[in-house]
Amino acid sequence: MLRAGPMQTLPRTVLAVLPLLLGGGCQGLIGELPPVAQQAPDRRPEDPAAPLLPVESLPAFSPAPLRARQLLRWQYEESVRVLLGDAAAAAVVLPADVPLNGFAAVGASQLAPTPVAVRAWELSAHAAAEAAFAGGLPPGLVPCSPAAADDAACLGAFARSFGRRAFRRPVTDEEVSTWTAVGRAAAQAYGRFDRGVQFVVAGMLQSPAFLYLAEVGEPDGDAGRLRLTRYELAARLSYFLAGIPPPEGLMAAAEAGALDTADGLRAEARRLLALPSAARARAAFFDEWLELGRLDGLSKDPGTYPLYSPALASAMRQETQAFLGDLVARGADFRDFLDAPDTFVNADLARLYGIADVPASGFQKRTYPASTLRGGVLGHAALMAGLAHPRLTSPTRRGRFVRERLLCQPVGAAPPGVNAGMFSAASEAGHVTLRERLAVHLEEPSCAGCHVLMDGIGLGLENYDAVGAFRPDDEGLPIDAVSTLDSLGTFAGSRQLGTLLRNHPRTLDCLVRNLFRVAVGRVETDGEARPLRAALDRFAASGHRLDEVLVELAASDAFRFATKEETP
Amino acid sequence: MRRTSLSRRTFLRGAGALLALPTLEAMLDGKGEALASGEPLPRRLVVFFFGNGVVLDRYLPSGTGPGWVPGEALQPLLPLKDYVSVVSGYDLKTPDLRAHHNGACGILSGYPFISLPAGSANFSSRFGGPSIDQVAAGRIGGATPYRSLQLGISKRAGPWEGPTLQYASHAGSDAPLPPTVDPVKLFTQLFSGFNAGSTTDPRAALRASVLDAVREDAVRLRARLGSADRVRLDAHLAQVSELRAQLLALPPVVTSACAPPAAVTTRNVDAGGKEPLTAVSRAMFQLLTLAFACDLTRVASIQFTGPVGDQVFSELGQVDNQHELTHDPARQGDVHDTVVFTFSRFAELLAQLRGAVEGTGNLLDQSAVLCTTDVSEGLYHSCTDYPLVVAGRAGGALTYPGVHLRGNGQNTSDVLLAVLRAVGVDVPSVGGGAGLSSTPCPGLLA
Repeated sequence: MLRAGPMQTLPRTVLAVLPLLLGGGCQGLIGELPPVAQQAPDRRPEDPAAPLLPVESLPAFSPAPLRARQLLRWQYEESVRVLLGDAAAAAVVLPADVPLNGFAAVGASQLAPTPVAVRAWELSAHAAAEAAFAGGLPPGLVPCSPAAADDAACLGAFARSFGRRAFRRPVTDEEVSTWTAVGRAAAQAYGRFDRGVQFVVAGMLQSPAFLYLAEVGEPDGDAGRLRLTRYELAARLSYFLAGIPPPEGLMAAAEAGALDTADGLRAEARRLLALPSAARARAAFFDEWLELGRLDGLSKDPGTYPLYSPALASAMRQETQAFLGDLVARGADFRDFLDAPDTFVNADLARLYGIADVPASGFQKRTYPASTLRGGVLGHAALMAGLAHPRLTSPTRRGRFVRERLLCQPVGAAPPGVNAGMFSAASEAGHVTLRERLAVHLEEPSCAGCHVLMDGIGLGLENYDAVGAFRPDDEGLPIDAVSTLDSLGTFAGSRQLGTLLRNHPRTLDCLVRNLFRVAVGRVETDGEARPLRAALDRFAASGHRLDEVLVELAASDAFRFATKEETP
Repeated sequence: MRRTSLSRRTFLRGAGALLALPTLEAMLDGKGEALASGEPLPRRLVVFFFGNGVVLDRYLPSGTGPGWVPGEALQPLLPLKDYVSVVSGYDLKTPDLRAHHNGACGILSGYPFISLPAGSANFSSRFGGPSIDQVAAGRIGGATPYRSLQLGISKRAGPWEGPTLQYASHAGSDAPLPPTVDPVKLFTQLFSGFNAGSTTDPRAALRASVLDAVREDAVRLRARLGSADRVRLDAHLAQVSELRAQLLALPPVVTSACAPPAAVTTRNVDAGGKEPLTAVSRAMFQLLTLAFACDLTRVASIQFTGPVGDQVFSELGQVDNQHELTHDPARQGDVHDTVVFTFSRFAELLAQLRGAVEGTGNLLDQSAVLCTTDVSEGLYHSCTDYPLVVAGRAGGALTYPGVHLRGNGQNTSDVLLAVLRAVGVDVPSVGGGAGLSSTPCPGLLA
């Protein structure tokens, strides 16, 4: 058992040696040093806050292999919405996706579909089709007039037209024959043409041709390099930016070769970003990136936090979405997500934040009281509450979030056999403030490697309690929220931390990587550093408008090109 | 790509007349100890898994052999003691590279976990091989409409470090099996067939024919994919086949043990942010017992709480996250209370199984139930002296009355292998790497 040593306050000297800890000699404690875009092959150990190297110094682009990817839950819902309408989308009930490496899109390209998903796809496909046609067939859906209830030619024409949209490509004769047979069997069983259509739809919505973005590519001249086919690229683009099958205009544009150039992709990307489904796509990214799912079933001690309720947790989530959605809608500098002095609150959140001007109804834009040092998403209750325990805050959890999700610096595992209780043992030994108790992490060399990365950040957020409200002290104990972020300077509170992060070279690089992971359903490779850096540069040149980096990612070589499957 | 073959209950409704299939009771021999065909009664496997370990000095039994005396944490099992064996002193042999991950994967499968190459992305891990319930499902699950069931009680097992910590059942290293956590949903899935519509309703047959068409599309897609994706699509196709067979299976035949249940109304919904662990457990155990009695499945896993997880044992009056409690030396009493609570629910599962008559005995007589966790003690993240409880008689294969086996650093996978062998899964070994075992724990088998 490891024993807590003599008490020290958080040593600033430990933070000062951070570059050394990150650079090497610490493998296995903090995990492998993440490959980041600024790393040249001959790099020396460097400050985690070192400036990025110019794009020209990065290795030449080498594309990555393709993997088939299942539609995510929200993509399935949005697809059904654009294909069949809101009533059909409302009938869809799917289980949560299974994420890997922090993103469901990565899980969706590596894991087998789960039995609960296969079952739910089947039920949802039938439910959606039934709901869609409850009031009869919508005009224009079927491209012909049936001559009989089981008119095979007309069912076939429908299978061809609906299949083209759902499968994102022309349907083969074989497929038409398969689905016509299904439709005829249903039409005959019920003596109704519309039931035939209904079962074709219900079938196609559970077909692997619909459920998987299965890209095969075609040779691109260079040895071994593949480019996505026009249909594949249209679908990848449309699902990345809007979660839906390509609209007819995009299909036509793709067929005419509009996606063969980066500029053509940019133009189509901008069109997609104007669709309602694009807002859902951005919201899905925000939700996952910022781990807002933690607010589902978040437990808080009612004795300590009598005002907390599941409804308040839901409002927290809405706040963060409204705030980020507003940045996008205004075309604002997206870096404001880190240190904006204002947000969107309803009455309950206004009270939580100590905002005097309580909205009479709904969510309204308000500025935080300056004394609360609050700004940016790290001041949002959604994050401060989600990254805390039921009663206590967790500087470690908050710091880990900033490292992992905002800086792409994953934190390693606790060493085997460590006395996981030494943190609290310190409290028994008379260490009173959380800062003093956490200092134990830094006295033990096997712990310090990781905790130095996390605890310092979290301690600077100690003025926000476990539901995100401002507190001047911790149950009578003083809070010293002055902390340090890498070599970038000191801060206290979320707004100052946000401003430091705004200038941290990794922050935007990490955002671009996270968006790319969602776009293609895998973690980027070293060979993709150059196109990702190029997208980052153009993001900066656009004044950091989020939609512009989405456009640039869609137009990047890493999005358009691939290589054959790796053979293990 | 193989189709699931169903031995008794499956019938292609679309094919024509209803066939009356023999019930388990009708198939019993004169003594009620075997089927008239001479086959033994089916054996069942349950893996009951909970998060964050125990407090060893309040858990470990005293005495060994059949005269063992339960430690405090195992007191709830006292009324069922003859059916319960405890193995202690065994160690997890898989490399302890990351707390909770090693324990969850190692104890449920015998394999080391696999870290995913993450670069600058979040750490995730997945199982190194199938969990033992899935090994069993592959061998003894094919005779029933559901090869296996996955049930969950707490909803607080998080996705933050990948499927190893999120799910107890894994069909393979790329195939986590999320549990059903809502009793109403499970009830509808398993037992709505009792109220199947008229045989003239074409819906079931049409749904099956849709699945046939889905299969055709899948086969066409498969031909275009690379080898890794083909494996995933094959898993998809196997599930489609199983689903198709379930759609066409006859309603369960009513017997004394397999009676249509009253509609289940217990939902796994928090009340004021509190999880109804006891109510959901009881509803789930009842449904599982009935699923066994009706021979809808023979294999199940129950994830009571998740490794790490965010569960709070509100019913004990606790307000703190259980995982955080385990890391506080001053709160080990509270941790122990959660362990007692967990074994109390486990005891209810065993009692439920024992209460269901089958032949001349009961379902617990025909079952092996393994109960374990992802660390020995959460305070130390330890993987030695591992908590392992094995209950049931498995048709006489498990030792009865139960015993306490005190080991000295043997491989925990030996226990997994013994449990598999007990339910008739005749595999030569279980697990892999340092966790591999080909030597079943000797004292467990009768």
